[in-house]
Amino acid sequence: MPTKDVELIGLTKRFGDSVAVKAIDLQIYEASYCCLLGPSGCGKSTTLRMIAGHEEVSEGDILVKGRQVTWQQPSKRGTAMMFQNYGLFPHLNVEENVAFSLRMQGVGKAERSRRARELIELVEMQAYLHRRPHELSGGQQQRVALARALSTEPSILLLDEPLSALDPFLRIRMREELKRFQRELGITFIHVTHSQDEALALGDQVVVMQDGEIRQSGTAREVYDTPSNEFVARFIGGHNILKTETGTVSVRADHMDLHVGGLPSEAGARARLGQVVALEYQGSRIRVTVSENPDQDEARHVVELSDRSFYAAPANPGDAVGISWSAADEHLLAPTHA
Amino acid sequence: MIPRSPLSLFLKVLMGLFLLFLYGPTLTIMILSFQGPQGGLTFPLKDVSLHWFSSLFQEQRVGDIGSSFRRSLTLAVLVMFVNVLIVVPAGLALRRGFRGSRVIFTLTIASLVVPSILVSMGIGLLFSQTGVEANWYTSGLGAHLTWTVPFGVLIMIGVFARLNPTYEEAARDAGASRWQSFRFVVLPIILPNIVGVLLFGFSLSYDEMPRTVLAGGAHNTLPLEIFAMTSNVTTPVLYALGTITTLVSFVVISLTLLFITLARRRTGAVKKA
Amino acid sequence: MQPQAPKRPLFERLLPYMQIAPLALLLCFFLLIPLVMIVTVSFWNYNGFQVVPDIVLFNYTEMLGSATIWRTLFSTILFTLTTLAVTAALGFAIAYHIAFYVRTPLMRTVLFMACTIPFLTSNIIRMISWVPFLGRQGLINSMLMDIGLIDQPLDFLLYSRFAICLVYVYLFTLFMVTPLYNAMSRIDRSVIEAAIDAGATPVQIMFWVVLPLCKTGFAIGAVFVITVVMGDFVTVRIMGGGHSATTGYLILNQISLLQYPAACANAVMLLVVVMSAIGGLLRGVDIRKAL
Repeated sequence: MPTKDVELIGLTKRFGDSVAVKAIDLQIYEASYCCLLGPSGCGKSTTLRMIAGHEEVSEGDILVKGRQVTWQQPSKRGTAMMFQNYGLFPHLNVEENVAFSLRMQGVGKAERSRRARELIELVEMQAYLHRRPHELSGGQQQRVALARALSTEPSILLLDEPLSALDPFLRIRMREELKRFQRELGITFIHVTHSQDEALALGDQVVVMQDGEIRQSGTAREVYDTPSNEFVARFIGGHNILKTETGTVSVRADHMDLHVGGLPSEAGARARLGQVVALEYQGSRIRVTVSENPDQDEARHVVELSDRSFYAAPANPGDAVGISWSAADEHLLAPTHA
Repeated sequence: MIPRSPLSLFLKVLMGLFLLFLYGPTLTIMILSFQGPQGGLTFPLKDVSLHWFSSLFQEQRVGDIGSSFRRSLTLAVLVMFVNVLIVVPAGLALRRGFRGSRVIFTLTIASLVVPSILVSMGIGLLFSQTGVEANWYTSGLGAHLTWTVPFGVLIMIGVFARLNPTYEEAARDAGASRWQSFRFVVLPIILPNIVGVLLFGFSLSYDEMPRTVLAGGAHNTLPLEIFAMTSNVTTPVLYALGTITTLVSFVVISLTLLFITLARRRTGAVKKA
Repeated sequence: MQPQAPKRPLFERLLPYMQIAPLALLLCFFLLIPLVMIVTVSFWNYNGFQVVPDIVLFNYTEMLGSATIWRTLFSTILFTLTTLAVTAALGFAIAYHIAFYVRTPLMRTVLFMACTIPFLTSNIIRMISWVPFLGRQGLINSMLMDIGLIDQPLDFLLYSRFAICLVYVYLFTLFMVTPLYNAMSRIDRSVIEAAIDAGATPVQIMFWVVLPLCKTGFAIGAVFVITVVMGDFVTVRIMGGGHSATTGYLILNQISLLQYPAACANAVMLLVVVMSAIGGLLRGVDIRKAL
């Protein structure tokens, strides 16, 4: 059984009367990439900041490598944080930023320069040693921030929305790099994000949070294929929520079938009739939104088709169509908390 | 931007007139301070000379300009440093919050808005009634600080409110102690602002007069000396004095602005303090 | 293993108090106690030579019964209101020009600095610098006579209420420009653009969009103007030529006559008037937010 790098036990954070994090339990395995995913205000950043030691814990425990660190100073936890807007010291150049912690420990100038340069080479920023943060692009700043965070030789790296400040192309490049760094360094990354794509692309473990509670924790595939409740299914996207006799179920949009000109006889109960209300061309796929009743939001369903199967029997907005799914693609959801 | 219109033209003209209004008189007395020995307080210039500047340094004619000038400079330097030493820690404390911070904040604002003559009079009374001798470097220093410190505290509150707490968190991650985080992270970042506060303290003190008038003791500061001169000196020597003291202020202001600009360029901070 | 939140070390808990101590001591000894002193002495007795600790209401009854005191207070308030009106209008126009019509940030900074730098130079010298303009043989009179608009020099220009008000505006408009400019530069540009899109004329934008968003700026500016004009004695003495008085000037005169308790009673009155005006203005204004 793999050992646990981080364990949260009944972790709670209150701000005055409001509870930002409600007694969550979570285990993160060694050398894994864990994504905390949720909408803004769900408590994911607060959780990360409590692990880092930048937010005081109201109740509960934090264990890092089996060691109780709940009340320990940030620098003594074996964690390091990469901040949302990087938080690079504006008055120091790249090398000085990365060497900062060594300087605080009283490491001599030559030694800290040598070690800082190693890290800077690791993130391939050796050409920018003497630049100040404002002279670097967003992606470059991020590499420096990574090098600085690694300078304390942490066993856990905490990343607070690390990609949110980058443009979409760079975001995908940096996403790959983060994953590569995590594998090469062999340490645990805990990455907070509100982007489903990011979490699914990166996370060995994806933890979906809402209202200060964990709604689901599992591998990316588990979370996507078998969302445990309606919230997760909706938040992760690409799912239809359907009420059936057996209860509320989710079906992936790309597992739905579209029938132009009436339902086939074998469809049975796993089918709906409606009208096409929107068509979205997405390149390789077509997204068809079908509504059973234009006044009801829950009566809207999405069918995603490959361009070939769509154009084999195309539909237009306003057309009466049928949709259906098979029992095997149906996934029963637990009722969502209020 | 709002499109051009008669309004924008009106405002532009007004701006020009306002600048003329602001600087015209000062420039005028600077010109008149080169008045010839026979010249008076108004135009025309009868000859151009340094006569009034030289008579400024002959003590018997216009009172003790030299020593009051030295006194004012010394006091301003004193105020400048004491001011920063009070204001920066106060800013840190107010940022973290503590019991009674509202009271302190209200008193700080009060120190700014209580009419100067009352502060001056109160301090004067306090010293005379307790039998402590009032002096420019004791009661006078205190009186000046009641004027400079509120400005400083307000500036520091603004500065700390804008200081991204991430920097300090990053420093703590790196194992910096509270002191190290202040010394190596916070201080270098806010240094331009501190220089600004230094300048402010110096300039406010150097030209301070209403709070010193009853609290400054027996020896006049320069503004008090000038105030006394206005009622009995009717020659351009007053303008010569004005020219010199205004130049002192401008030199201090320019040096500070220069420093701040250079420091900002280093960190790439373009936002204003 | 049930760890508890360790108590913060004593030093940590005391730190803010140590940091605030110098400020607290300063305010206590050079603001609070002096003001208490003024209130105390206002109840003392005095004769021609000395001040006698006592509790008498004499100073107040005499003050409140004196026509001079009331006239002076009234005149001081009139000076203040005039200055407020002019500086607010002028300050708003200047700040508006800099904030909304000057295009480059550098130029905005330069102009703003140009408006505020005189604050850091000597007020007395700046007052005196009006003498060559306003005197009987001053620039204005000689110019007006040259172009034949008048045959006699105008006397009201210098040593008059006009001269006093002019110098107040000259000295204190920057107290309005600074907070108003600050308030204007916080206005989101898209708000202005939305107003333009909605068809508002430049004048309408100024009065219906920007002006209401500058309330706090006006309040802060007014506080400064009120406190400096209400307490003024320097300008009145230098520019008034002995024909006008303000409460501050009166207090200074009483002190030179060693009538300390009377001066203190006057000071208490001034303090009450100024503080209630400022209290009213600052109600609902969060100064910290305006920084």
